[in-house]
Amino acid sequence: MNVRCVVRVCVLVAAAIAVLSVPVWAAAPIKIGIIGPMNFVQGKGHWNGAVMAAEEINAKGGVLVGKERRKIELVKSDSNEFLNLTDATNAMERLITSDKVDFIVGGFRTEAVLAMQDIAMDNKKIFMGAGAAHPELCLRVAKDYKRYKYFFRVTPFNSNYLVRTSFAHMGFVGAILKKELNLPQVKVAIVAEKAVWVDPMIEAAKGVIPKMGMEVVGTWRPSAVATDVTAELSAIQQSGANLIFTVFSSSVGIPFARQAGELKVPAVQVGINVEAQKDGFWEATKGMGNYVFTTNTYIRGVEYNNLTKDFVEGYYKRFGETPTYTADTHTAIKEGLAPSIEAVGSLDADKIVAHLENREYLVPSGKVKYEKDAQGRPTHDLTWGPGYLTSLGGQWQDGKFVGVWPNKWVAAPGAPEVTYKGVVPYKIPPWMKK
Amino acid sequence: MTMISPAVQLKRLVTLVRTEVLVLPSRVIVAMFVLALLGLPLVSQNPYLIRVIILTSVFAILAASWDLLSGFTGQMNFGHALFFGMGAYTSALLNIHFAIPPWGSVPMGALAAVLTGLIVGIPCLRLRGTYLALTTMAFPIILMGIVFALPDLTGGELGISGLQRLSNSLVGNYYIYVVTMLVLSAVMWKITDSHTGIIFHAIREDELAVRASGINTTRYKLMAFCLSGFFAGISGGMYAHYMRIAGPSTLEVSMSFSVVIWAVFGGLATIYGPIAAVFVLFPFLEFVRFWPEYRTMIFAVVVLLILLYMPEGIVHWARDKMEKECPRCKIRNVATRKSCRVCTALLD
Repeated sequence: MNVRCVVRVCVLVAAAIAVLSVPVWAAAPIKIGIIGPMNFVQGKGHWNGAVMAAEEINAKGGVLVGKERRKIELVKSDSNEFLNLTDATNAMERLITSDKVDFIVGGFRTEAVLAMQDIAMDNKKIFMGAGAAHPELCLRVAKDYKRYKYFFRVTPFNSNYLVRTSFAHMGFVGAILKKELNLPQVKVAIVAEKAVWVDPMIEAAKGVIPKMGMEVVGTWRPSAVATDVTAELSAIQQSGANLIFTVFSSSVGIPFARQAGELKVPAVQVGINVEAQKDGFWEATKGMGNYVFTTNTYIRGVEYNNLTKDFVEGYYKRFGETPTYTADTHTAIKEGLAPSIEAVGSLDADKIVAHLENREYLVPSGKVKYEKDAQGRPTHDLTWGPGYLTSLGGQWQDGKFVGVWPNKWVAAPGAPEVTYKGVVPYKIPPWMKK
Repeated sequence: MTMISPAVQLKRLVTLVRTEVLVLPSRVIVAMFVLALLGLPLVSQNPYLIRVIILTSVFAILAASWDLLSGFTGQMNFGHALFFGMGAYTSALLNIHFAIPPWGSVPMGALAAVLTGLIVGIPCLRLRGTYLALTTMAFPIILMGIVFALPDLTGGELGISGLQRLSNSLVGNYYIYVVTMLVLSAVMWKITDSHTGIIFHAIREDELAVRASGINTTRYKLMAFCLSGFFAGISGGMYAHYMRIAGPSTLEVSMSFSVVIWAVFGGLATIYGPIAAVFVLFPFLEFVRFWPEYRTMIFAVVVLLILLYMPEGIVHWARDKMEKECPRCKIRNVATRKSCRVCTALLD
């Protein structure tokens, strides 16, 4: 073999290595920015959900864009929005203009999301909101569709529906109490943390509860970070309440549940208790949080449809905890964006918007259909109700958080009865039956 | 009237630069900083970079306005977010409900902040030190309560969104904010260098002595509150129009404390110290985004270390390293000089 031949072989081998191994030959990835308060549980949910979606999509070779498969590349961005609004907007600007992401998913605090939404809209980037519940975010889409059409809500459904769901939970438990305990009328104590977002909910509750055939015996407003609520609990006990409608998003949810359990207050807790949604609630209340009922998006063992189990168990296996609703970044990417990108065959935001807003698709928490307002204008808000998104009602029963609602739920006269797979009967605390 | 030829004017300018600017490193740095700021869009129009500089400029005005009140006059204000939030909310309300363009709404927001300064200043005149600091800290919290109590007007927890920007162009906005910051900083510095500024300074050092000199200190303290409120109000209005939202976050306690950190970090009673601090700390906080989990901790450690080793602020420290003050005529000289550039006295 002469020298020239050796050189030719070397060149060919080098070229083959270059073609096979250098990533520049691969299609550019689709960059998705995940923005959220990354040092808080909400942001961790955002990131974990997105990581899971990217891993699942990439394991199948990526997203088919036209004729090429493109992998998902995630860009993590800490918005720090609980502490600093300016930080949140800077993070969004950086994602779009420096990291040059194709899509953005995340956001939590409404004031920050409003500001971030404007930056995304300026740059005509699709922004899928996965945390803020205020209706205003989607009202903007209806009011100025041309500018705000790139915004979609992924989770949760808007706060008006959240209130409606909580009342449905209260009605569900109230009916059980009335029947099981032979009560002529269920007496309700409203206990809500001192926070601005709670105020309209209390007013609504005061109006709705009598219409549901129950009586409001009083309203208590402990501090959101109270560590002792025995005074409130004694007063509730004195009032003769059978049901405590709770609205807690902060740490007060733990002492309230623990002390109510210690005192064996003869009233069930129903409503929103964010602390009770967490896996560590049982230990935090030392088991005294037994029978606490709270709304939640995911509960292990409860299936909305055939996507739920894979997602919830997969998430639990991967991250060691039950997913919270902000982990629906998974839904946004896997069931929302990816199929629409494949359908339109490009990353063109306008084409994806046109496709996405008209889709109806299954997600692990139900079915997504984007709403239109009374005038027929797209809002890109989530449809709530049987057959779509409803969320769940969960109860702590002897150390396990189980799904108890919807169980033969009829949303309106004539509507179909809804019961999800894995839902178990609601339990009344034994000390109330005496 | 005699006309001065451009050549003569240029010669005068060169002489001025050579004799007034180039003689001191601090002035050279300031001149280079101003030139760099004004020239930045010619080099880069990265929207993220432009955004960071614009917001830095807004907070620089705010920090300097705090220095004007607390640094110079010694009226320790721990609730400076009140003026900022007042400016932001007033501008937003005027822009959204009365369709007043930002050119009108921002100055009117500043006037509302002046009025607020007057309202806050009057009850605070009797207080000093810790008592004053705690009282002032309560005012933004009160205003936040009002914001939440009137959600139909103020937007409640959402704030007022959808505001107009001062300019729709990236570079246009940049120059509006940067030039405003430079002009307002110069105005504030000029105020502190004036007769009024000397009285402010004197009030901080010994109010009793100032009163004994026949000066109405009450009037000057109120003036300090109003002036500080005016500049902070402008920064609040400009912030709201840039972010296109005025929300409760403008009134948060963290906003008030950030201002104090910036001012102390840069050096009190200087005006340019807080400005320098904002231009160091705000971009630095953006720079450490590469390590998001430890971002705030890194920031806190840097601030602590700087304050530990440079207790009078970064500007005083840097200036003392580069320059020396003449013991006879008090003129500053470059540190390498052996004798004063004016009176020739020995510097060591």
